[in-house]
Amino acid sequence: MRLAWAMARVVATAAVAGALVLAAGCGRAPGSKVTITVWEQMDPPERAQFEKHIAEFMKRDTNVVIVHQNYDTETLRTQFQTAANGGSGPEIVFGPSDQVGPFSVMGIIQPLEQVEGLGPAYFAGFEAASLDTLDGHLYYAPDQMGNHLVLIYNRRLAPRPPGTTDELIAMARRATVPGRGGAPGTYGLVLNMVEPFWLAPFLAGYGGWVMDARNQPTLDSPGMVQSLRFLSDLRTVHRVIPQECNYQVMETLFKENKAAFLVNGPWSWQGYRAAGVDFGIAPLPRVSSTGNWCAPMTASKGYSINRNCPKGSLPAVVALLKYLTGPGVQAENARALLTLPSATAAYQDSFVKSDEFLRQSRAAYSLGRRMPVVPEMRAIWDAMRPQMERVLNGQTSPDSAAKNMQAMALKQIRLMKE
Amino acid sequence: MLSVVFYPLLYNFLLAFRNMSLYHFQVTEFVGLRHFRAIFADPSFYSVFAKTLVWTVVNVFFHVTLGVMLGILINRPLPGRAVMRALLILPWAVPQYISALTWKGMFNYEYGAINLMLTRLLHLAPVPWLSDAFWAFVAPILTNVWLGFPFMMIVTLGGLQSIPQEMYEAADIDGATAFQKLTRITLPMLAPILAPAIVLGVVWTFNNLNIVWLVTEGGRPADQSHILNTYIYKSAFAYNRYSYAAAFSVIVFLILLGFLLLTARTQKRQAGA
Repeated sequence: MRLAWAMARVVATAAVAGALVLAAGCGRAPGSKVTITVWEQMDPPERAQFEKHIAEFMKRDTNVVIVHQNYDTETLRTQFQTAANGGSGPEIVFGPSDQVGPFSVMGIIQPLEQVEGLGPAYFAGFEAASLDTLDGHLYYAPDQMGNHLVLIYNRRLAPRPPGTTDELIAMARRATVPGRGGAPGTYGLVLNMVEPFWLAPFLAGYGGWVMDARNQPTLDSPGMVQSLRFLSDLRTVHRVIPQECNYQVMETLFKENKAAFLVNGPWSWQGYRAAGVDFGIAPLPRVSSTGNWCAPMTASKGYSINRNCPKGSLPAVVALLKYLTGPGVQAENARALLTLPSATAAYQDSFVKSDEFLRQSRAAYSLGRRMPVVPEMRAIWDAMRPQMERVLNGQTSPDSAAKNMQAMALKQIRLMKE
Repeated sequence: MLSVVFYPLLYNFLLAFRNMSLYHFQVTEFVGLRHFRAIFADPSFYSVFAKTLVWTVVNVFFHVTLGVMLGILINRPLPGRAVMRALLILPWAVPQYISALTWKGMFNYEYGAINLMLTRLLHLAPVPWLSDAFWAFVAPILTNVWLGFPFMMIVTLGGLQSIPQEMYEAADIDGATAFQKLTRITLPMLAPILAPAIVLGVVWTFNNLNIVWLVTEGGRPADQSHILNTYIYKSAFAYNRYSYAAAFSVIVFLILLGFLLLTARTQKRQAGA
């Protein structure tokens, strides 16, 4: 049995490695050129910026060829896991900080502070809030920070942002107008009601959070019960939100000027500009009953190095990482994408210093709480999501849902570690 | 054949007896039947299995019924037959991924085309297609019925072409009614052609992943619309429980193998009779 397993693994590794080398073009080009493959999950505007930067880098260093492959976030995660476990994969993988947790536990990415050229001096140039450590190691170099939810208001329907949740509800009620003849009308507020990421700011505002400092779930809390009740009341009591409101619905309604307030992150703002919506952004309001600000989860996105990266390619990989995370590139990205730079020096850029969107974005970011990057977050999300749905469908009470979330998260974490 | 069929199968079997997961990714241990015991001890296995059976039976029933009905209909000399045939084959030609996402949009409570038709044209109450456990199971079934009937229709059309016209002429001389011709000639003659297609349909439907996963966004609401394969997919790729998922897929494989052997035996017996 053991021999069969060993043989199976050897063949699997060889097969996967061979296939991926052929498919992804990972490895060296003929001659002395170094080929660096990057797998990323960037959306089209971000990818366009990235392509511009790598073209510039290749112009500067003609011995380096950079190829990149785009995946959606989930596919990137599974593809990279399979490839890296098979001894292959790209030299660099780019993505959100929460993918770093599983990758580091699996041992398929390198601790960057141990890579020559990426020591403490390099990381000293980053905003401290943009760096996440796991077991004392830094596994990715961020090229932006944020990923935080803000309140976006349509100036045609709501002239200013509210300061508290009570004010938000009052303004949303005024903006909610039923449609005529059964047609959909205008809603006061839209948010992704079925994603726990959208519940997290309100959970924090009501005094709760997803896990403690020991990475143990803390979902069965009064804060969770109150935030679930708040979410449910938006639909059933205040009636300011559509019956089924997922990401696509909220995006469509806001772009069609049929929603006064929207909760969404920096990745979406350019799309609303392109759609011609006159909007402003502001931090999510304070929770009226607690006086706490709603605290969105904050995270970074960045580059990690595959543990299978050939040693000979490392100097070029390091140079590329330094270039892509440098203040010049990040300031340029801030102009084009409205992302918050993670490089401290980029905040000296005139646009980054003065742009109103970035100023509001940073204000919202400063109220946020860092999203834990440990793999247990997966269990937390998956425990929260079904219970949120059950509360919204009226199948369970917020109290029971909070208890069930906690039990399910603990069970999933136990199963993940088996 | 060795590398693309037998090796993955063998690898999956071996994986089922180990403990490959997020925390045991590169170095794994032999754990014997642990995952199989855990699966059979979990009540959700039986409910998901029952749902998979319902999913398969309902889908294949409608695939065959609609496929045969429409096949017989468009085999007749009708005006615009070529256009009708092309339109009816269309669901089969559209990539499943696109169809599933389009249907998902159509199932939205307030803005989906289906509820808009129900409320505006028929003055009925809107259906919570994707937020109620029952309807969230009906929604992917409707999608898959729409996607699957053209295959059976094409098989039926092929079968109808092979029935000798003389049989119908003889039946006409004998004064047979249209219903008698259908039950005594068409359906018996189609049966041997449809049988392998139905067996294939059962296996494909039982093994379906895309439709349920995409329409219900991974088993929503509250993981209540899973069939076996979506449940396995979630275990493997959401929770990184690779060996557990491998054990689950071995069980699915054995169920389908049992079904195929039973079918083969029945057909052999019928052929011998």
